[in-house]
Amino acid sequence: MRWIRATRRGPRRGDGAMRASLAPALLLAVAALGCHTSLSPPIPAEHGDDAPPRRGGTLRLATFKDIRGLDPAGPTEGVANQAIHAIFAGLVDFDDRGRVVPDLADRWEIAEGGRVYRFTLHEGVRMHDGEELTADDVKRSVERALHKTTPDPSASYFEGIAGYAAYAEGTAEHLDGVVVEGRYVVTFRLEEPDATFLSVLAGPTLRPVCRSAGDRYVDTWQPCGAGPFKLAPGGWRRGASLRLVRHDGYFRAGLPYLDAVEWTYNMQQLTQRFRFEAGELDFLHEISQADQTRFAGDPRWRPFGSTDADTTLYGESMNTTMPPFDNVEVRRAVAAAIDREHYRLLKPAYVTPLDQPIPPGIPGYASDDVRCRRGQRYDYAAALEHMRKAGFPYDPATGRGGWPYPIDYVVYDQGLLIYTAQLLQQELAKIGLRIELRLVSWQTFLTLQHRRGGAAMSPGNWAMDYPDPSSFFEPLFTTRAIGPESTDNTAFYSNPRFDDLVARARGELDETQREALYREAGAILCDEAPWAFTFSYHFVSERQPYVRGPLQHPVWYVDPTRTWIDRSDRLAEPPAGSESP
Amino acid sequence: MRRLAWRLAWSVGVVWAVVSIAFAVNVLLPGDPAQMVAGPQARPADVARIREQLGLDRPPAVQYVRFWTRLVHVGPSVADPAHASCAIVLPLPVRRSALHLDFGKSFQMRQPVVDVIATRMPRTLLLAVAGVVLQLLLGVSTGVLAALRRGTWVDRLTVSVSLLGISAPTFLIALLLQVILARELRWLPLDGYGATVGDHVRCLVLPALTLGFYGAAYYTRLVRDEMRVLLDADWVRTARAKGLAPGRVATRHALRNALVPLVTAVGLDFGALMGGAIVTETVFRWPGLGELSVKAMLDRDGPVIMACVIVTSIAIVATNVVVDLVYGLLDPRVRDARGGGTR
Amino acid sequence: MHGRAKAGVRLFSNRSARLGGAVIAALLAFALLGPFAARHGPLESDFVHGLGADGVPVGPSADFPLGADRLLRDEFARLAYAGRVSLFIAVLATLIATALGALVGIVSGWFEGARARVPWAVLAGVAGAIAALAEGRAGLAVLVIVAAGLVAVRRPSGPLLDVDGWLMRLADVLLAFPFLLLVMAIGASLDRTTAVTIFLTLGATGWLGIARVLRAKTMQVRSLGYVEASRALGQSTAWVMLKHVLPNVAGPLIVTATVLVAQMIIADSVLSYLGVGISPPTPTWGRMLFEGADDYLVAPWLVAAPAGAILLAVWGFNMLGEGLRDALDPRDA
Repeated sequence: MRWIRATRRGPRRGDGAMRASLAPALLLAVAALGCHTSLSPPIPAEHGDDAPPRRGGTLRLATFKDIRGLDPAGPTEGVANQAIHAIFAGLVDFDDRGRVVPDLADRWEIAEGGRVYRFTLHEGVRMHDGEELTADDVKRSVERALHKTTPDPSASYFEGIAGYAAYAEGTAEHLDGVVVEGRYVVTFRLEEPDATFLSVLAGPTLRPVCRSAGDRYVDTWQPCGAGPFKLAPGGWRRGASLRLVRHDGYFRAGLPYLDAVEWTYNMQQLTQRFRFEAGELDFLHEISQADQTRFAGDPRWRPFGSTDADTTLYGESMNTTMPPFDNVEVRRAVAAAIDREHYRLLKPAYVTPLDQPIPPGIPGYASDDVRCRRGQRYDYAAALEHMRKAGFPYDPATGRGGWPYPIDYVVYDQGLLIYTAQLLQQELAKIGLRIELRLVSWQTFLTLQHRRGGAAMSPGNWAMDYPDPSSFFEPLFTTRAIGPESTDNTAFYSNPRFDDLVARARGELDETQREALYREAGAILCDEAPWAFTFSYHFVSERQPYVRGPLQHPVWYVDPTRTWIDRSDRLAEPPAGSESP
Repeated sequence: MRRLAWRLAWSVGVVWAVVSIAFAVNVLLPGDPAQMVAGPQARPADVARIREQLGLDRPPAVQYVRFWTRLVHVGPSVADPAHASCAIVLPLPVRRSALHLDFGKSFQMRQPVVDVIATRMPRTLLLAVAGVVLQLLLGVSTGVLAALRRGTWVDRLTVSVSLLGISAPTFLIALLLQVILARELRWLPLDGYGATVGDHVRCLVLPALTLGFYGAAYYTRLVRDEMRVLLDADWVRTARAKGLAPGRVATRHALRNALVPLVTAVGLDFGALMGGAIVTETVFRWPGLGELSVKAMLDRDGPVIMACVIVTSIAIVATNVVVDLVYGLLDPRVRDARGGGTR
Repeated sequence: MHGRAKAGVRLFSNRSARLGGAVIAALLAFALLGPFAARHGPLESDFVHGLGADGVPVGPSADFPLGADRLLRDEFARLAYAGRVSLFIAVLATLIATALGALVGIVSGWFEGARARVPWAVLAGVAGAIAALAEGRAGLAVLVIVAAGLVAVRRPSGPLLDVDGWLMRLADVLLAFPFLLLVMAIGASLDRTTAVTIFLTLGATGWLGIARVLRAKTMQVRSLGYVEASRALGQSTAWVMLKHVLPNVAGPLIVTATVLVAQMIIADSVLSYLGVGISPPTPTWGRMLFEGADDYLVAPWLVAAPAGAILLAVWGFNMLGEGLRDALDPRDA
């Protein structure tokens, strides 16, 4: 760091001149510059709402994050999945309402009480290298993804496939649970009936890859699949941008409309907004609160803004194995002491206060039924009452009572959570619980939170892995999730009745029965409060008027397959790099 | 000569010590690199598998030995999959072999770290050079001006502005420039690196200016003080008393006197900047070594951290040695005094 | 005595020193008295009055002289309270750095070019202190050092070492070490980031400048006539150091230390800005700057206030250092 001046000879005598009121003047000037400027007007579409889609044009997107890789079997994250979903089609996919629908598979049938899934593929599906997709390719891709040398962070989601254990250890050469029964028919055999199997299959991990990928994962493979877009030659400039071009042989005729999709990475929010206003970006997904207020307040822009579904869960995780949170009444007190509206104030456009253990946007799930009938809503009197029942009565007038020791709250410096932590500190002080914020780095935070005895209290947050309640309940609150060294069940909550309900729900293929089981399980969480559920987070987006057709997606964030651009000048651009491989 | 050899040997020792300490710190810090690769929501079984693939389940001592044996080794001079992450440094006279440099593979980016460093180093170099050039331009010119016009308002203004420059932390200057020039006036891009060469230059302006202002203040005072000392000398005063202006001869002589400490300061500065001006690179998202090392430390990306530490410490130690030598050559007083000292 | 009185007079008549001192005094007054003058505590969110009509925190007004921050707390109270924290940390860090730097610099400069006998107790003490620090026990480390010092006075036998060489090599290693990694390491090993860990970290990394300055000065003093005479007469090293070296190095020490405070304020604000500073909700100027930067466009005063405070404090100490330098050693060449 250059601030340590280990100098040989320092500066010598000064003159003591004092015309340095430059500093305050400069600051005043800067302060004065912070005045509002209004947004540029949106660029209109050319045709009316009924116009048919037109082919051509490049969709331009940006994000302040970066991607690490484009291999569906490797470590990926939300931003990369947008591109992976466009490059690789899967047997099944999520539609724009989060339900599982056929994709490469034309249809499927479920046999043997949910233990066998038989998929029949479309015929004549061409991959990016021109080869036809067959059932052998499916099996090869599955085995590649689940092999023990593949750095796949989602492999254990498929442990229900018969023969997985042997294959993952390396004792079996092939995965017996995946059977090729014909040129276009492939069957998955499961050990137990599993209602979540199709949801997990719709994810990126097992999506078929071209033969060029070989049998084993390598870092240097050029992505090639069966999706609507393919990687342009030299299309991925690391740390800078990604360009995908239309796959002309895509099995759905007529799609995609766009010639190309481009992402620019490492672009901060303000730069994105500037470029969007200038018409250089077509879609804005990362908008600061201040900007969002402006877009929403501008009548020209308001029709083109939209709010994503709430699919993340935030709460205060209380370690049920550490005092005072081993006492259920204390946990109930905490759940009742937090005014969720205060949390919402931090980022009103993004935060939805929550009083239930599942975010309301989990598609395909009736959220109203899950709302907690008891607990998990702000009620100061009830909170004090719970503290009294716990044995630690607190008198707000004198400030005496409550839990006598300070409680460590482990938190990392992420935008919203460090502020909610400070709010929580004030709220809990009012019921006699003193928490001290222990600010650590992100990786230390994960280590502490996941270790037994590591953190008494910490912010819990979980994004859905797939749109289903099991995606939240199983990793966060079941006994089975508690491993010997680390776990995602940060509350170390263990309730045999809850475990039983969740296990039964997993194997229950009847939707109504399943919902009832989850409703009952959810009620237990509401009451026993291993977490104080506080809010759910969603993104807001803004699009240019000329971007037509569906674009947002509840699982993939963006899905450009059916998007089209309604401006002749943009359609006329020659798409660069669209030569066939 | 013997002194030089001794100094070089010691420098290698310093680098070794720094790298070893950094290795120990990196291994001992809490946090699991495998978890950082797999993501926060990965299940323990999958994290464990990735940990094994990354070689992190071996004991630290074994990792330490592997690190050094792999760092510089002899290998084939043609491409070989077993040496995928190596860079060929020097072909050897022995048949078909060459000296390999191997920093390993980045956990996060899954790329050979030598490639990552090779991509990023020129950018940091560019920023360092641009920064130092601006520092010198701004600093020396204002310093000379202030020394020549001593006692006038020019002198006083220079001193106060330079004091301000030293007083403001880098990130404050960076933020100020970014807000005024990029956010409000929109003359320059907010941050980043850009795609074309033209973009690169435009993106370079603000971070270089930040470094420039911050360092210029220091050089202004340095040059001014050194020059004033000389301009105070008797013969100059005599000349002035006789009515002659200091004259260009005096100015050049004074400036030359200022060169010695200036060169040493520039050298040290440049060495430090080669490690990556962390704050500046972070605020402006300039993809150089500084930004890389911060990201690597936050992601617990061991191979990248170690590579950055190696590059940084070599840069600093090397420039220290060079500056010492140059200083010794330039300043006869030190040369003579060296007879009795150890440094 | 005569020299010191003259130095004092020069100090007061020096414009830099006067202005710098005035600014610092004003800031100190603000930091100490400000929280009493404010209407709210620095850690309290006011959900009733802090929220403006449009759902955003209020701007500068009667109740909130500098507006409310994101969590609806009084920015004025926070700024003053942060002044206490930032100044406290900076001053303490400087004291530690100065003590360490003086120790290293004087010892190094005194024994430069020769070997000295280092008591075994000292070596054991240093090793033990490092081990204690690695375990996170700062208090234990201090105890170990003090104990080692006491034993060393009694039993001064030990090996002959090139003290200056080794200390300067240590400085080299420290100079080349990545600062951020060091900060993270110290923070992690000491288990949490508090004011204590911050000023220990800054103190432990900031002694280089002082050490170098004092080393050079000590070497100069060592060759002074009356000092050599003292040694020739057989006075013990410790006595000579106390009587002759310390008074002579006091000047540069004070000047460098004053400027070091300014650098510590900057360093502390950088640490806070990078997120490895003192834990919230305790405010520091750097943290307030970081928090305000996001909402700059709607609430520029949230950035201007801490930025101005940092600038004024640093500038004030720099000015004071200038004045001290002029006053204490006008012939300094």
